[in-house]
Amino acid sequence: MKRKALNWSLGIATPVLLVAAWWAASANSMNTFFPPLSAIMIRFRQLWLFDHFGSDILLSLRNLLLGYAVATVAGVVIGFVTALVPVARWALDPVIHFLRGIPPVALVPIFISLIGFGIEMRVASIALAALFPTLIATVDGIRSVDTTLKDVSSVYRLTRGEKLAQVYLPAAGPQIASGMQVSLQVAFIVMIASEMLGSSEGIGAMTLLAQQSFMIPDMWAGILLLGVIGFGANLVFELLKNRILAWHAGSRRLANS
Amino acid sequence: MKTQIKPAAVGALGIAGALLLWQFVATGPMNGSALPTPGHAIAELAALLTTGTFWANLADTILIALGGLAISAVAGVAAGLLIGSFGPVRYATMAVLEFLKPIPPIVVLPLVVLVLGPTAQMSWVLVVIGCALPIVMQTVAGVHDTDPVARDTARSYGMGHAEILLRVTLPGAMPFIGTAMRVAAPAALVVAVVAGLLGGGPGLGQSIYQAQAAGDFPVLYALVLVLGLLGLVFQGATRLAERRLLHWHESYREVVL
Repeated sequence: MKRKALNWSLGIATPVLLVAAWWAASANSMNTFFPPLSAIMIRFRQLWLFDHFGSDILLSLRNLLLGYAVATVAGVVIGFVTALVPVARWALDPVIHFLRGIPPVALVPIFISLIGFGIEMRVASIALAALFPTLIATVDGIRSVDTTLKDVSSVYRLTRGEKLAQVYLPAAGPQIASGMQVSLQVAFIVMIASEMLGSSEGIGAMTLLAQQSFMIPDMWAGILLLGVIGFGANLVFELLKNRILAWHAGSRRLANS
Repeated sequence: MKTQIKPAAVGALGIAGALLLWQFVATGPMNGSALPTPGHAIAELAALLTTGTFWANLADTILIALGGLAISAVAGVAAGLLIGSFGPVRYATMAVLEFLKPIPPIVVLPLVVLVLGPTAQMSWVLVVIGCALPIVMQTVAGVHDTDPVARDTARSYGMGHAEILLRVTLPGAMPFIGTAMRVAAPAALVVAVVAGLLGGGPGLGQSIYQAQAAGDFPVLYALVLVLGLLGLVFQGATRLAERRLLHWHESYREVVL
């Protein structure tokens, strides 16, 4: 019991100590690349709270959410069709695997060449890049649905719609969720990349522009903000996933005990 | 036999269909835009294959990805064994690692480019930043998962700490490390491309950036095709290597009934 308390306090104390050490070590830093943490925090507050909040933070997040939403809906729908219709699977499998082999960020220049530097380009890049993890996870998830489940639903004469919504979707749910989590990370990366490549608005663009014009505390402020968003997005996803898939964790626990 | 031929034939039809669609879009609705016809892009690809710079860039990208991956693997497994073997260290680092894990390397790209400039070292550092952390965390999980009976048996046979670590704990953690490597290998390639595209490091990423900036769109598409193929090769090679190297582990052994 005492040991557990010690471990917990270690877990909480280390991050606090690290930040304190950064603060102390950089306090009088003359190194241009590593300015004092206090200076970074001042710029952080000036820039993001709330000067550029509406113009850049909300813009980036809206692009991220929009692209991600399109990607996951399309990924699940195409995944269902690909998994359940053999001809579609045979025809699409090679094409899908080739497209997902392309590094997602390399799609950004393609979209720039086709539709320019606007917001549509950013959303389209995010959507296409984030499509494949969800799509492939959906196909795998449905392909591995227990055959007994399929047989039982046939015996009970479930209609096609009932089968899809009440048997296949829940059975493949956990796998689809993992795919969607990877999609979210890809979407976040492409959001930054699409802003860094020749855009002047958004958090990624501001961070890179700050670096190019040697406004080092501004660059650090951008990096911190992006880090917090990356962590926060994943955290929100985890919480939602645990909520929605609570039945799955429960049934696993029952099966194990 | 017949069941094997049919999917392959339909798959080839799918690829042909995708190319036809591309041809149709390029000559029809998007005629005169930046989209080249597939024939044009493939001809450009063939022309690229005869130039020395293309092969030098390809070699740079592969070297950066594989070299960074190798450094990440050695450092990550060593750090993971260390962290996983000592309970207090594990608790002390857990919160920090969990915070850093969902943050992609593209976030710190401006900082790394600022310090190291658009060089090969910069690309190496980014690849290591991107790949090491997941390997560390998977190794820690693997160490934690080692069969305690095997460890106790080794201890009662009089093995020392170092010997147990190398001959019991490390092999036991191998499947976890294998999974981490399978995820890290394609990621290493992606980061190597990102470092070239956004940071100006050497390799195919830089070629893509130059092609896009110069408006040389057939070359851009040819390079993206190359990256798609390269991504497939990386995925296939790591899956094969994993199966070859870990065939002895019980989770990979074929079940004989």
